[in-house]
Amino acid sequence: MRTPLTLLLVFVMAFTSGACGRGGSAITVVIAEYSKDHTKPFWQGLAEQYTKQTGTKVDLRFIDWNSIDQQVSTMIQANQPPDVLNLNSFSSYAKDRLLYSADEVLSPKTKDDFIEAFARGGRYQGTLYGFPILSSARAFFYNQDLFARAGIAAPPKTWDEFLDAATKIQKLGGGAIGYALPLGPEEAQAEWSIWMWNGGGDWKSGEQWAINSDANVATLSFLSDLANRHKVTQVNPGKTNRTDGAFQLFKDGKVGMVMGFSPFAKELDAEKKVRYGVAAMPTRGSSAVTLGVEDYLMGFKKKDNQDAVKKFLDLYYQPENITKWITAEGFLPVTKSGLTQMSANEKLRPYLDALPNARLAPTTDPAWDKVKLDVQQNIGRAVQPDGKPRQVLDELQKNAVASGGR
Amino acid sequence: MVYPAIVLVRTSLARYSITGRHQGWVGLGNYARLLGQEALPTVVSNTIVWVLTIVAVTLVLSLGLAQLLNARFPGRNVVRWTLIVPWAASLIVTSKLFVWIYDYYFGILNGALVGLGVLGGPVDWLGNDRTVMSAMIAVGVFVSLPFTTYVLLAGLATIPNDVHEAARVDGASPWRAYRSVTLPLLKPALLVATALNVIYVFNSFPIVWTLNDRNPGFAHDTMITYMYKIAFRSGLRDVGLAAAVGVVNVALILVAVAAYLRTVNWRDAEA
Repeated sequence: MRTPLTLLLVFVMAFTSGACGRGGSAITVVIAEYSKDHTKPFWQGLAEQYTKQTGTKVDLRFIDWNSIDQQVSTMIQANQPPDVLNLNSFSSYAKDRLLYSADEVLSPKTKDDFIEAFARGGRYQGTLYGFPILSSARAFFYNQDLFARAGIAAPPKTWDEFLDAATKIQKLGGGAIGYALPLGPEEAQAEWSIWMWNGGGDWKSGEQWAINSDANVATLSFLSDLANRHKVTQVNPGKTNRTDGAFQLFKDGKVGMVMGFSPFAKELDAEKKVRYGVAAMPTRGSSAVTLGVEDYLMGFKKKDNQDAVKKFLDLYYQPENITKWITAEGFLPVTKSGLTQMSANEKLRPYLDALPNARLAPTTDPAWDKVKLDVQQNIGRAVQPDGKPRQVLDELQKNAVASGGR
Repeated sequence: MVYPAIVLVRTSLARYSITGRHQGWVGLGNYARLLGQEALPTVVSNTIVWVLTIVAVTLVLSLGLAQLLNARFPGRNVVRWTLIVPWAASLIVTSKLFVWIYDYYFGILNGALVGLGVLGGPVDWLGNDRTVMSAMIAVGVFVSLPFTTYVLLAGLATIPNDVHEAARVDGASPWRAYRSVTLPLLKPALLVATALNVIYVFNSFPIVWTLNDRNPGFAHDTMITYMYKIAFRSGLRDVGLAAAVGVVNVALILVAVAAYLRTVNWRDAEA
């Protein structure tokens, strides 16, 4: 039976017994599965190239996003960390002193090629440990047919215009939904970040957590009103996930507006069912802010692996390699050379234009790994009919401060 | 099975960082913290409702199904094979299927019930706090039926035909014969089915995990999904505390099954 109890145990056993099998020169590389079609072929090709050049074998493992946290945690518990790891967080590993710094495993040329904002997002206490592997930026998607039917001339720029557009679309009837708001556990922190920033708030004020600031309470109340007072969202937005909820509804043509990103555009283009436009986020401030997300590559400090890790990372960061993969997966570049190469692609223009204004979640703070999960599990409660935005944010703030302060 | 149990207990006595690094021993600290968790009473009561309802409903339905499949009728083999399907299918796949069946916008359940006029409008079965547990329990019953029915069917097959005949000759009504002859002779099979189902339903992870994945917090979790969330999916992110829940789970299930077998007098039933 696939119970977590046995899962937990099986992992522990698998990794402790696997310890004996390690011999000769090989490195273990753990890669998150971004897509069924592109992730495996690219990394397998890269691993072959690497083995040919260095003679070092690569034990390549692909893990889906649902179980990667637990599998990596089990590997480290069993004292069998990978040599190279790809994940969406890094600072807890840096804090536990498990990682090589950039100076130890990247050539200066690679290090200097990173876009500064992403390099900054990979630093723990001033040192680069989380090497950007790829990035994405959210954008505002709207259904052009529904906009036309509702008589909305242009995508909304302010929250007032946004509410107006959502109301008009909802009024079309026939199951039309103004805005699909996914605040269920899957990716609530992303949706929330975008609204929060455009409402003038932030995760932190200086070095202190500021999750329950007045601006944030006002923003969350605005979202709750969308659902409960104006009723321009899908049913139970606090209990809707992104992929099988909000995105699915938009793909089906039911929804006027949703926050998407470039891989979602790829899916919509492939299905050709919905005519959509991409725009900047509606904002309460003077300029629209979007969420940038970067994922990381990390090198784990182990006996005698520094050279092998360095060579592997250098191979990935060859401009032709990294750009080939990022393009295949539909994500955005993290290097200056990649940005130059990819800016020719018209389809990516809205996202690339948004990139300079994109803000990142506070991934450089090790407490973020817990704060993120806490937000995912709880923020949805605030937009329930009996939800209490301030109380939910107060609890999140309290837990964030307790998770390690700073 | 001894080594993993030792690892589990050892893990429950330690503190780990979020990355999985051992940070020292805490004795029974994790168990004390578990008792202080705000969500614990809800999760425990969810678990009791989840296990008792599924096992009880499954047994009643399976008794009927087994009786039906024990009778001779054309197409019996086809029905017997069909019944195996929910058992043979992966629980994850079955659960995903039900997510779509229950869907507010696309689900066939709302389509059918609204179409028939049973409901005035669609219901968000998996998002509504009042319906989500029942919706999950229905799936739990659905996947437990095949195994239970087959255990009872095997039990029915062991009852010799002459006792039925004797009951008929004595003038017992079919219901009376069922209650006084069939059921008592079915007791060993019922005991096995109950005990195994309790363990199996208690440990069931995929249904609750998949159908409840959209809901924030711990309001609809059972001990098993609670353990998993503590380890990997909540702000707690605490493997040591989760291991403590794991140990408690094993202890609970052992005690529950032992108590059950004791009260129903396992040995008498065998004789």
